[in-house]
Amino acid sequence: MSREPYPFVEDSFSRFPSQSNIYGLCQAGEQELLAATLKGKVVCFRYQELQQKIRPVAKEVQFTYIPVDAEIVSIDAFNKSPPKRGLVVGITFIKDSGDKATPFLNIYCDYEPGSEFNLESIAQSCLNLELQFTPFQLYHTEVQCDDGGSETVFLLSGHDQRIHLYKENASLHQFEEQPVERLFPELEQLPSNVLWLDMLSIGSGRRLSAFGCQNSCVGLALVDQTGPDVLQSWRVQFDSPISTVLLFPLSCRPEPRQPSAGESIETGGYNLLVTSTIEMAVVYRNVQEHGLSRSVCLSESDQWDAVLSALVIDLDFDGQKEVLLGTYGQELLCYKFQPAVGGGDGQFQLQWRRSFKSPLLSIIYLDLTGDGLRELAILTLKGLHVLQHSLTCTADLVLERLSQRVSALTTSGFGSELESDGAQEAEEKEFTDQ
Amino acid sequence: MRSLNYVQRVSLDFTGTLFPHAICLGDADNDSLNELVVGDTSGKLLVYKNDDSKPWITRTCVGMLTCVAVGDVCNKGKNFVVAVGAEGWFHLFDLTAATASKADSTSQHEALSFEDQRPFFTQHIPANTKVILISDIDGDGRCELVVGYTDRVVRAFRWEEPSDGSDLGSGQLVQLKKWLLEGQVDSLSVNPGPEGLPELMVSQPGCGYAILLCSWTQQDSSGSGEEGLATTGSEGPSRDVVLHLTTGRIHNKNVSTHLIGSISKGSKEESSKCGLFALCTLDGTLKLMDSSEQLLWSVQVDHQLFALQKLDVTGDGREEVVACAWDGQTYIIDHNRTVVRFQFDENVNAFCAGQYTCKEGKNSPCLVYVSFSHKIYIYWKVGLERMESTNLLRVLEEKPEFRSHLKVLGVDAEDPATVRTLVTNLLYKDSQM
Repeated sequence: MSREPYPFVEDSFSRFPSQSNIYGLCQAGEQELLAATLKGKVVCFRYQELQQKIRPVAKEVQFTYIPVDAEIVSIDAFNKSPPKRGLVVGITFIKDSGDKATPFLNIYCDYEPGSEFNLESIAQSCLNLELQFTPFQLYHTEVQCDDGGSETVFLLSGHDQRIHLYKENASLHQFEEQPVERLFPELEQLPSNVLWLDMLSIGSGRRLSAFGCQNSCVGLALVDQTGPDVLQSWRVQFDSPISTVLLFPLSCRPEPRQPSAGESIETGGYNLLVTSTIEMAVVYRNVQEHGLSRSVCLSESDQWDAVLSALVIDLDFDGQKEVLLGTYGQELLCYKFQPAVGGGDGQFQLQWRRSFKSPLLSIIYLDLTGDGLRELAILTLKGLHVLQHSLTCTADLVLERLSQRVSALTTSGFGSELESDGAQEAEEKEFTDQ
Repeated sequence: MRSLNYVQRVSLDFTGTLFPHAICLGDADNDSLNELVVGDTSGKLLVYKNDDSKPWITRTCVGMLTCVAVGDVCNKGKNFVVAVGAEGWFHLFDLTAATASKADSTSQHEALSFEDQRPFFTQHIPANTKVILISDIDGDGRCELVVGYTDRVVRAFRWEEPSDGSDLGSGQLVQLKKWLLEGQVDSLSVNPGPEGLPELMVSQPGCGYAILLCSWTQQDSSGSGEEGLATTGSEGPSRDVVLHLTTGRIHNKNVSTHLIGSISKGSKEESSKCGLFALCTLDGTLKLMDSSEQLLWSVQVDHQLFALQKLDVTGDGREEVVACAWDGQTYIIDHNRTVVRFQFDENVNAFCAGQYTCKEGKNSPCLVYVSFSHKIYIYWKVGLERMESTNLLRVLEEKPEFRSHLKVLGVDAEDPATVRTLVTNLLYKDSQM
């Protein structure tokens, strides 16, 4: 497989009536995106199937109880953890009626059976909470309940140096603020306002949680969720406000590929990516073992103004994840991890970069077109870009892997394949025809 | 309507002002790579090459340049650059040797000699030129020069040389014919007629067009002469002008109209001889028709379209229609009426689209915008895999081996959810095994 320098093709661009911000994009359901713009408008983006064709549709959703003079700060959405059903959308905004600005958190969710996932009806059932602080990032994560089940909750950071927890009260059918310490002891006593928060469940009942602050502090904690108890925590000080923190596993395969090394792929363990507004982006390697001691810089990542968004995904389908950074300097950067030869730490190398027409605010990778292949949605100051993998190349890759599977199947099971042998021959003929 | 953002562009310095037809893309120096030729109102002819923001070559012409073109106007098997001024001065430049002399002059820091900078040929033709076309209009395999005027006149010229004259300079333009039309001519084009012979088409106000008959050929064959008489009996000031008004919602009979012909249909449908042509108006009507007057589609937009071009953006051999509005909104429409929109962020002074060698040393489809801020922007990566949005499953379904693989693996190809999961696993999980 030849590596293309830039593997995406822009499929659509939707211009927004006003600008958005780094908290302005979220996934809502499987194949939809919600983007919030400053002037109180929320746009739902999806692909619609019409007359055997699919086409991108960006439609405004009328969320109730957002006044005309509201300025939206952040938006987030999640599907309730099973066995509960339904989509929950949270929107924070500031209503500025002249003399005094009042912040609010609106939580939308519909309990009517049949319409739990219907965005139009969800947008009409609102819980309106007045806030005592200026909201920042609205985040959601899954927590273990006392009864053994799990539940997804909202976490909202504010300018009061605290993080607020909003959890559904099952008996009242509504969300309410609960003390954050009980479920998230690591989020007590924060050093500053948290600008970005990320959590990752790492199995055996543990989670990693990381936060980046306005005063340049980054905090990381390893938490046993059953207590919950903070097992270990780390802090590190940067020189500029932290724009994002992102926890991710990184598998790196020893080269050349050895069949015996099949299970020891996760050599990289869990990593923490930290981007700040002035400095280079940094990845802390293997954090659950080494904490914040082993760092690798992403060279040149400070060349295009502040890094505002980050995402770690496998975008070339080789099983190893790449780091994507979106900068205010209108560049999208892609880094790939290069394992060091002979036991070093390895490093991240810039693979490609692509310019946009306005600053990049947020990135999400999801399957919008419903084909199993994910698309890259990029929110910029002017609108939403949807970048699709080059379909011709990806289709070739799918066929290649399918034929690998087929040949694995036909060689392993010998006796039962009289008819599929014939199919195999037919395929080989087709291949030679091409 | 699908809309997208092109980003990869280069900006060229251009301080003058220009007429909308004083810009074109073509192979000016016969190196098989295309250059951008621009003429400004002070008579300067600029040729840009690659992604260099400064002109590669500058030449001075007499008068206000209204139109430029690149083509084999002398029928010598090589391209010349033609620049025509409003006052009627026709300039012919041979830039083939310019590459070599350019290299010399830069090494010696010495300006080009006056002799090199002068046009290779000049001639005065009637004034008030507006638009030109270099093409074979009478089907004899040789190029003619057609000039449209602001006074509703179109003239055709042919380059003629004394048969013994080996010297290039001894030739001159000879007028073949003059047509007088009812309305303003905004564009000239050639389109294969129903018999496959080229027809000279000019746009007429109100989304109309006229076919101009080349009467000098009809003197030879009496049969087509009869036909010409029969068809031109209806209206029009001259019998050699066949006016066609297209039907549909035309709000303003006098609205400025542009036209482009010979839109390539790709190899598949080449069997039918009828040429495709497109029309656009300043009030936002776009039409694609063939030369048997059949309407393929019509699109109404709320932007003022002032330039119409053709460009194969998908690389399938079929050319898409590209229309640009004053405010920068650009429409790319294929033969099936699939629309892709692109918003250029400034007002547009002049627009053209075509093949240009910007980066990578080869011709690629480009959109060229002349802004009002002393810049020309060339978007050099405008190719698309396809015009319509689609997804991976649809692409895979077109491949026969996909279905046969699924059958072997025992996956139901009719069940989208299962196939989707399979694709996800193949792409995002298989490589981790």
